[in-house]
Amino acid sequence: MIKRELLEEIIAASLSSGGDFAEVFAERARSNSIQFVDGKIDKINDNFLSGVGIRVFKGTRTVYASTTDVTREGLLACARSASDALGEGNAQISICLTPQKVIDIHPVKIDPLASAIKDRSDILKKACFAAKESDALISQVQGSIMGVEREILVANSEGLLKHDTHTRTRLLVNAIASKDGEDQSGSCNPGRSMGLEMFDFISPEYVGREAARGALVNLRAGYCEAGRMTVAIENGFGGVIFHEACGHSLEATQVGVGMSEMCGKLGEKIANEKITAIDDGTIPGAWGSINIDDEGTPTQRNVLIENGILKNYMVDRLGSRRMGMAMTGSSRRQDYTYEPTSRMTNTFIDNGPDKNEDIIASIEYGLYAKQMGGGSVNPLTGAFNFSVREGYIVRNGKICEPVRGASLIGTGSRILQDIDMVGQNLERGQGVCGSSSGSVPTDVGQPLIRVKEITVGGR
Amino acid sequence: MKFDDVKEFLIAEANRAGLEGYEVYYMESSDMSAETLKDEISSFASGVRGGVCFRCIVDGRMGNASSELFEENEMKALVARAIENAKNIENDDKAILFGGSEKYETPKLPKADEADAATLKRLALWMQDNTYKASEYITDGTQSAVFESKIKTELMNSYGLRLSNSVAMSGAYVQSVVQKDEQSEEGFDFAIGLNENDLSAISESATKEALSKIGAVEVDTGKYDVVISGKRMRDLLSSYASSFSGRNAQLGMSRLREKEGQKIAAEIINIIDDPMREGCSMQTPFDGEGVAAYKKTVVESGVLKTLLYDLTTADKKGIESTGNGQRLSYSTPVHIAPYSFYIKGGDTAPDDLVGKVKDGIYITEFKGMHAGCNSVTGDFSIESAGYRIRDGKICESVRSFTVAGNFFDMLLAIEDISNNVSFGIPSGYTCYGAPDVLLRDMSVAGK
Repeated sequence: MIKRELLEEIIAASLSSGGDFAEVFAERARSNSIQFVDGKIDKINDNFLSGVGIRVFKGTRTVYASTTDVTREGLLACARSASDALGEGNAQISICLTPQKVIDIHPVKIDPLASAIKDRSDILKKACFAAKESDALISQVQGSIMGVEREILVANSEGLLKHDTHTRTRLLVNAIASKDGEDQSGSCNPGRSMGLEMFDFISPEYVGREAARGALVNLRAGYCEAGRMTVAIENGFGGVIFHEACGHSLEATQVGVGMSEMCGKLGEKIANEKITAIDDGTIPGAWGSINIDDEGTPTQRNVLIENGILKNYMVDRLGSRRMGMAMTGSSRRQDYTYEPTSRMTNTFIDNGPDKNEDIIASIEYGLYAKQMGGGSVNPLTGAFNFSVREGYIVRNGKICEPVRGASLIGTGSRILQDIDMVGQNLERGQGVCGSSSGSVPTDVGQPLIRVKEITVGGR
Repeated sequence: MKFDDVKEFLIAEANRAGLEGYEVYYMESSDMSAETLKDEISSFASGVRGGVCFRCIVDGRMGNASSELFEENEMKALVARAIENAKNIENDDKAILFGGSEKYETPKLPKADEADAATLKRLALWMQDNTYKASEYITDGTQSAVFESKIKTELMNSYGLRLSNSVAMSGAYVQSVVQKDEQSEEGFDFAIGLNENDLSAISESATKEALSKIGAVEVDTGKYDVVISGKRMRDLLSSYASSFSGRNAQLGMSRLREKEGQKIAAEIINIIDDPMREGCSMQTPFDGEGVAAYKKTVVESGVLKTLLYDLTTADKKGIESTGNGQRLSYSTPVHIAPYSFYIKGGDTAPDDLVGKVKDGIYITEFKGMHAGCNSVTGDFSIESAGYRIRDGKICESVRSFTVAGNFFDMLLAIEDISNNVSFGIPSGYTCYGAPDVLLRDMSVAGK
């Protein structure tokens, strides 16, 4: 995207006022999203994003400047504005970059953006019509199929020069069921770091039917009762509980500035011994996977908690300086307009010792959360919340009637101790995680787990 | 290429492709921000960004594509992509490019506080110093930040439309972190503009908020009378604003469908949509389709007067667009959204509103609203914090409970509202506002 000599010149200019590290991040990303509503292809959004972000460090102080002007003059002006913001000076620095090869661990077979729009539309329609046709009560179906190809280049004053291309595909279906003037919705949104070959093993029709099923269940559900109770949370997107309740509190973004309840707890038992939790960006083709992070560090498998003991944090370059710990390939950003920071990739609680049927059978009265919605956390206090999209009351060890409108709240440190049963059907679900460096694709995951007591918001 | 060259190039390409209806939308923005940690500037960021969206009508259907790369090959590909996209659209909506409104109002923008990088850094450090002085319990992790941004938009099409608008916004925020009795809590506040009195006020208010949470207790599960603060009521309004979209109503995805002319809220509720609200930095005379934006009453004395429409949905209904076909940037499609969208204040002073509650909760914090609010059904169940109200007085702080209800039922059940309206930070041209509201018998889940 940018010639090596120019990159060297930009980095040298960025360091002219006394910075001790500089990095150039160049990005070109094409995205296309075909949208369906009311039985027809309704809109196509098609964007090409192109820009550069330059970051300079002096100790733990950082300056970040970004621009869409990728001409030589534009880039050097951007470098000078970064340098000027850090201080004064006219240091002459010489930079020598060494190109390094990036191994693509997520090769794409059918490039979504090179495929005909009609091929993608057909997949989308199969999913949406399957949702519509699954029941006469389905009143509306909205869907989209999205393809993204992101090309990045990272160069820094330590001589690193890497180039990588990453492709993602996602199908989203949202179905609405209506009866007697009341509407309920259900959705299913699988995504992969793959091309259209993802539909070789995820049938579009299944995605549509799942969305419709969720809406129909909620249509016959009564409101969930409020109070404290035992809750079993199903696998897949249920893993959002770990993502919110604990994952964010293990990011250097928070830990490095003392803003996390997990500060200073390495080596301590912070969770029930049945819990082993991992952040793994290397899973081939997974939605949250990457080859290298947005600072050029190869992604890796980070064991965060092992048998209840806190083993590691997720650390980016700035966090590494603040905390004196090694980088973990966790630095991510939505695009070049954001300064990167430590983020999750594919984060999950690993399989545990308990049989799934024993978990449900152990609950005398409680809630079975089959599908979770999103949530949020305050890493400082660990207070988290998330919504239950599909829930059922459990009575005497049996799953009974559906309930809706429930949310779960608690604190991270407490729930990690209160997860007292961990099942064996680990699966992951896809989400988009928002934080200071923007929105990035992440997988969350877990097997069926039991929380012995938690506050259930309802009415 | 510079934008003026891009414009000429795209027009030539459109003509070469034989397009009759086409549009070029351009936006450029620049922003700066300075953030502090401890007693130094920890991060300074600046950005300049520009891009273009090309829309065209092919066989009666609208295609679009956007790009940030102003190079000839890419601009050629942009037009080709927009045409290809148009050919794959199937809906029967009338594709409309607008020739222009008769009259466009002139925004009455407040005087912009322009600042250079050095001023932003000085202000951020000064605020951080104030924040550390605000309490002996302030601890590291506390941040003060100052930002400034400028946006310029241009819109032109093959029907002779030529419009442009420039806005600038500056502001600051403080995140206070306090530690007391081995408990850490944080508080947040922001100010629009760089007035030093306002900036020193938010150091105080954010710190006061953080301190008030120390020692907060849990509440028992049950039904409570609640006062929702204006700050949080505006968040609820924001979560359900999509229900006011004419498009969502036409697609059967809004609880407000077929409700125009009907009572949807208590009689004391009036909801206004104003693209040129006095004092707001983000004002525009026209929407993303070039239609004149104007002030309108959406709900009057509890009755829904109109939903919000763009050109296509208005055409479907046989009415004029309400000028709400907005665009956040070249990369986001035209979508229906409000401007300054707020519930008008009432007659009761805030203290008197609390005074009407014998035993209840004053809610000052909602968390995770993107997850806790179901925009289709109106149901919500949200993590909350605030204060107990006893005998009409604000008492101890409370935390870790949820409040559940249904937004649309709640609009009808609001018993009273305060006489002050609190506005949030604008996102694009959209900004929400609300007074404090009093509700009876809300479901609360606590200990």
